[in-house]
Amino acid sequence: MAGTLETALVQTLNGVQFGFILFMIASGLTVILGILDVLNLAHGELFSIGAYAGIGVFGFVIGVVGPPSGVLGGVVFVLAVLVSVLLTAALLLPVGTVFEALFLRAIYDRDQVYQLVLTFALLLILLDVKKFVWGNTSLRTDAVYSAINSIPTSELVGLNYPTYNVFVILVGIAVVAGLFWFFDRTKTGRIVRATAIDREMATAIGVSTDRVFTLVFALGAFLAGFAGAMAVPPTAATLGMGTNPLVLSFVVIVIGGLGSLRGAFVGALLVGVIRSWMITLYPPGEIAAPFAIMALILLVKPEGLFGTWGETA
Amino acid sequence: MLEARNLHKSFGELVATDDVSLEFGQEDGELVFIVGPNGAGKTTFINLLTGFLSPDEGSIVLDGDDITAMSADERVDAGIARSFQVVKVFEEMTVRENLRTVVLTERGKTWSLFSMADGHADVERTVDDLLSKFRLDDAANTVAEELPHGDRKLLDVAMSFGLDPDYLLLDEPTSGVSTREKEYVIETVVEVGREAGVTTVTIEHDMDIVTEYADRVVALHQGAVHGVGPPTMLETDDELRRLLLGVGE
Amino acid sequence: MPERVETDGETRYRFLGVEATRREAVALALGVVALFAIPDVTRLSDSLQLSVIHQGLLFGFAAVGLNLLLRHTKLTSFGHAAFFGTGAYATAVLAKYAGLQSVGLLLLGAIAAATVMAALVGALSLRHTGLYFALLTLAFGQLLYAIALGQSALGGSDGMPIRPGPANQPLLLGTTFEPAVYQILTYYLTVVVILVGLFVMYRITQSPFRNALDAIGQERTRARFIGLPVRRYVWAAFVISGVYGGVAGGLYAVVRQYVRPEGTLFFLRSGDILFMAILGGFRTLVGPLIGGVVLIFLQDVGQDVTQYYEFLTGVVLLVLVYGFPRGIVGSLRSGGVVSTRLRQLRREPSAVADWARSAGRTAERKAVESLSSLRIILFGVD
Repeated sequence: MAGTLETALVQTLNGVQFGFILFMIASGLTVILGILDVLNLAHGELFSIGAYAGIGVFGFVIGVVGPPSGVLGGVVFVLAVLVSVLLTAALLLPVGTVFEALFLRAIYDRDQVYQLVLTFALLLILLDVKKFVWGNTSLRTDAVYSAINSIPTSELVGLNYPTYNVFVILVGIAVVAGLFWFFDRTKTGRIVRATAIDREMATAIGVSTDRVFTLVFALGAFLAGFAGAMAVPPTAATLGMGTNPLVLSFVVIVIGGLGSLRGAFVGALLVGVIRSWMITLYPPGEIAAPFAIMALILLVKPEGLFGTWGETA
Repeated sequence: MLEARNLHKSFGELVATDDVSLEFGQEDGELVFIVGPNGAGKTTFINLLTGFLSPDEGSIVLDGDDITAMSADERVDAGIARSFQVVKVFEEMTVRENLRTVVLTERGKTWSLFSMADGHADVERTVDDLLSKFRLDDAANTVAEELPHGDRKLLDVAMSFGLDPDYLLLDEPTSGVSTREKEYVIETVVEVGREAGVTTVTIEHDMDIVTEYADRVVALHQGAVHGVGPPTMLETDDELRRLLLGVGE
Repeated sequence: MPERVETDGETRYRFLGVEATRREAVALALGVVALFAIPDVTRLSDSLQLSVIHQGLLFGFAAVGLNLLLRHTKLTSFGHAAFFGTGAYATAVLAKYAGLQSVGLLLLGAIAAATVMAALVGALSLRHTGLYFALLTLAFGQLLYAIALGQSALGGSDGMPIRPGPANQPLLLGTTFEPAVYQILTYYLTVVVILVGLFVMYRITQSPFRNALDAIGQERTRARFIGLPVRRYVWAAFVISGVYGGVAGGLYAVVRQYVRPEGTLFFLRSGDILFMAILGGFRTLVGPLIGGVVLIFLQDVGQDVTQYYEFLTGVVLLVLVYGFPRGIVGSLRSGGVVSTRLRQLRREPSAVADWARSAGRTAERKAVESLSSLRIILFGVD
């Protein structure tokens, strides 16, 4: 009995952990969709580039810091990992900027099909850029995962659960809090929301929508890269790794409601946890379960759980 | 007869329609004008009647049948047509194609997958008839988005009229039209409507037009009915004059 | 027999409801002849392969279906591989588990399965429009891909063969043939199906139904207020377009005698199908078909030349989006980019230098713009 309880707990934690990663991807996608009215099909590739680049940055930074020893060493190591993730994500800022300013801006007033085709083209290009830079085989970094796992956390409460996953959950909470703070409390965040609610009004009060658009796109790319770097240590970076998170992010957006940050949060955790439960309860349902929830939402509440973003974050 | 019974509609704090009960078309071909200051809830009222919005409370009754739950397209089939304040036509079609699409729909022919769209003689006759009634013959082959504004307004009304409605609800058919063209637009509408015995309910800001053409005037203010009466009401009701013109305080 | 009609001082020919000018009629006749001649033409050169062109025609046919939605209702489906794959897998399943051998019955099965699938996906996806619709179709398409990948009964990532009966081959007219002959005969079958399919699509695009779809695509609110039950119409169009995908997928399975999830259901295939429509010209009837042949041919060549052919495809797409948004057929038509530029060039050959200069200036301006945006994001406003 205690065994099943523990399994249930572990699966739930796994789901929450995956949910946070998913939120980081979906939040950027949904905000871009809500404000720019752009569906960025290349978003999964940005996530994947974050994973590949993260491996390189981890290797470099950890080479400088060395393996953790003692309490102080542990703290330094965790900080080093965080810095690496942030550095990786920062690498994607210029990518996002170029995407928006160079490619997308020219076609906002054209038929929507063209921007879909454009982001699809960028997806194809990025696929092969990755292949060119990092090769055709999968890459992994075990150092980060095993080193962080050697720091005891869940063992303290008698549970055998990888510390790295706890780390992801904690960082995830910080990202969620940071995003809500950004959109609720900062001036820039409010300007972005104002633009989401009424583009013309925002222009009238002197907001440069061009700049807001670039900022939002770059922020989305940053978050995707962040997610990629956070997600890669327990697994490996592969060329096709961008597709599933992209499609699951779609599911999250539909569940949460177009452009809703809060919806993306609830949707991501829901998808993460239910997927994870299915692995023990009914393995073939793992793939279908998120889509089943999505179909249900479409039938019962087509506008999603939280409707449209803007008025409330 | 088209009746609104105790309609309520609010958007958050704002009460746009406040217990409105009205009747239209006791006599066929009645010309009713709805007047009122900006924000009086005129467009909301038409949106409720035509199924663009659904009321929070109250009901809409057509010839004794409750149609409150009917969808917009079903109401069109039931004989209620409308136009829009901001012209909504099929921009990439020519004037003729716009009207043809309307008449094909009205005749229930749009499920035909293998007949020729332009091969229905009865439809083409009606389209020609509409073109000449609304004096759009010369523009027949012009693409809608290239039409001058007055003609766009006329096309919008002609399309609603092409649905062969019993009730035609027009949301400011003369807005944005030059003073010279205004007369022309409204005259055409009135003429065609009278001839076919269509009950017309029109939102209008130009009081000269209302005075000249109205059989009956409905004045709305802050979502509620301020008064219903003959066009002379505009002269006699001082409070209404003040509301409409913003004179005095 | 064709009938002559004079409209607006132009001589047009009308046959079975298809109306064309003399030029169009000649082009049509040449096109049909070319389609039938391809198996002989491909024998002349090693670089041309019948199977590649055949596959291009099949995907292009799916794109013709997708184009009904794209061109008239302005809905962009990013999940059309779902119906192509459903048709292909239905064929494989019927051949393996129901023991069906006849090509005709297998294709009917493909059509039935694609119809049901399109009806379901359409009913759910069409609750939204625009990008949301694109997102939903992509998601449902990927769901089918994941299911095919996960089911051992469907062969997982290895896929399934279509080799029913003792002869290991579907039966054409109740007979089996040598593989080479089978390939050519199924090609002619494809050509016949495509001609019939194009004819049907042409008639649909001349019908009142098309007016309804155009109305919905151009001004959805107004469409409701002329009495069109909008959702029912787009749903019908969605199902029709899905059936085209299903027929193409079924034929693909019969021809290749093998289906894999990667080649039929993966979302990149959906992207390809959409791309074909744009490449060929989505404002035309035959554009998507031509786009299909050209794209599959390019990808085949690309695969021989480089392992980075996705990159090449992406670059071609970019050129298309910015340079030739009306696609091959759209640009070649009179008034299109190509003919306008050619005319300009004949008049003033130095125009090339102007184009190059203006392209260079645009690129430079864009680069400066994005750099300054990046600076602002990183360091704030001045």
